[in-house]
Amino acid sequence: MEEGGVNVIDLTQADESFVKELEALGADELRECIQCGKCGATCPMALAGLEFFIKRLVHAANLGLREVLLDDSSVWGCQSCNRCVEICPMDIKPYEVIQAIRRAAVKVESCPANTYEGLRNLYRFGHAVFPKGFEERRKKAGLPEKPPTALSFEDLRKKYQEILRNTILEEIAPFPLD
Amino acid sequence: MEKIGLFLGCNIPFNRPDIEYSIRFFLNELGVEIVEMEGAACCPAYGTMPSLGLLEWATASAWNLSIAEEKGVDMLTGCGSCYGVQNEANYYIHKHPEIKEKVNEILGKVGRKYDGTVKVWNVINFLYEKIGIDKLKQKIKYNLNGLKCGVQTGCHNLWPSKAFPSSEENTFFPTRMRQLIEAMGGVAPHYSTITDCCGMGALRSNAPEKSLALFKKKLDIIKEELNPDLNVIGCSSCLLQFDAGQSLLIEQKKIDYKIPALHLAQLTAIALGAEVDKATALASIPLNGVITKIKGGN
Repeated sequence: MEEGGVNVIDLTQADESFVKELEALGADELRECIQCGKCGATCPMALAGLEFFIKRLVHAANLGLREVLLDDSSVWGCQSCNRCVEICPMDIKPYEVIQAIRRAAVKVESCPANTYEGLRNLYRFGHAVFPKGFEERRKKAGLPEKPPTALSFEDLRKKYQEILRNTILEEIAPFPLD
Repeated sequence: MEKIGLFLGCNIPFNRPDIEYSIRFFLNELGVEIVEMEGAACCPAYGTMPSLGLLEWATASAWNLSIAEEKGVDMLTGCGSCYGVQNEANYYIHKHPEIKEKVNEILGKVGRKYDGTVKVWNVINFLYEKIGIDKLKQKIKYNLNGLKCGVQTGCHNLWPSKAFPSSEENTFFPTRMRQLIEAMGGVAPHYSTITDCCGMGALRSNAPEKSLALFKKKLDIIKEELNPDLNVIGCSSCLLQFDAGQSLLIEQKKIDYKIPALHLAQLTAIALGAEVDKATALASIPLNGVITKIKGGN
């Protein structure tokens, strides 16, 4: 993104097939957006100063600006807070537009490296957040070293991994799923 | 005796197990039987399976939900993301029969299924609805003795309310945590940015400076409008920001004050007589007289 953000919309870049792709990826009410701006007024991304926040993302998605949306990393800073879903007068579920853009981006490996780190931890340990030194922290709180989750039961973890392998993770993971 | 499946998630058992201790303690004290959810995994976090596809999201959440369903219990979590992610997955599973069918096809490969009967509760709504203000009042051993608290409910505990088993009357003016704290003898006033985001989560991972600046805005307003003894947090991710994140702001000399922070589960456990060393084992901001004030009141 250039200094000052995406301020000029180039309609020659509009790609109808990208709108359809986003609709199929969960943004099924995308076309109903009237650009009223209520979502932008409550969006933490806007408050935090990410220039490409929800209202503009939905606008660009509606125009099918594939390159603009896949090159910009703002969607990965979305807090998933769902304020926009709560207040949208057209009930287009704006957050689902963000998720649809993420889903399209992942397919072309246009996502931050930490996305893969979370997925790798999720697959290997059953936990996307898996910080070192937890055994010591658990001891301080008077708890057993490991919690009774997938981490503690290899047989159940293997089953969990099997269900994950039956999703699109199998196709997109840049790490071995064995 | 009421029973509940304790859903741990990731941040609570690995980063802040003092919250896990506290939830276990208050459930025992309030006569709720804890059902362990052996084999439960991550909710999964918004930036993982939910960002790959709706089926991916629903399938990974349904793994957890099916464990609770098999044991015939609802689930309780102290993490806002775990609450939001799994309730939304439940919502989609109910709304889209074709997703439910595909989810069960995949779960069936490992001998599991999910019919869609489980509700996911957070600590706030569980205490407010399942325990109730009156029972909580009766069970308190240490009155909070006028402790002034700044309240942070957390985004994922509030929205999207249509996906949740229970909700505030007005999600943009939340009062349940304030009522719970007042029932325990504390003071919990409203403030102008009570529903603002703390900046933890994807923003912290992908734009850390903007995340901390957003948090500072909120914290400065809490300091100016309330100057509380303690911030009380309804979500484990928000707690990481209010505690360890605040320590970062202090280190970077961005703020010149300290406000201790505890999860609602920790404060409730302490008021019910928990071992303070365990209930606050991982707090990085010193509790500065908070415990003395609570314990000195009786």
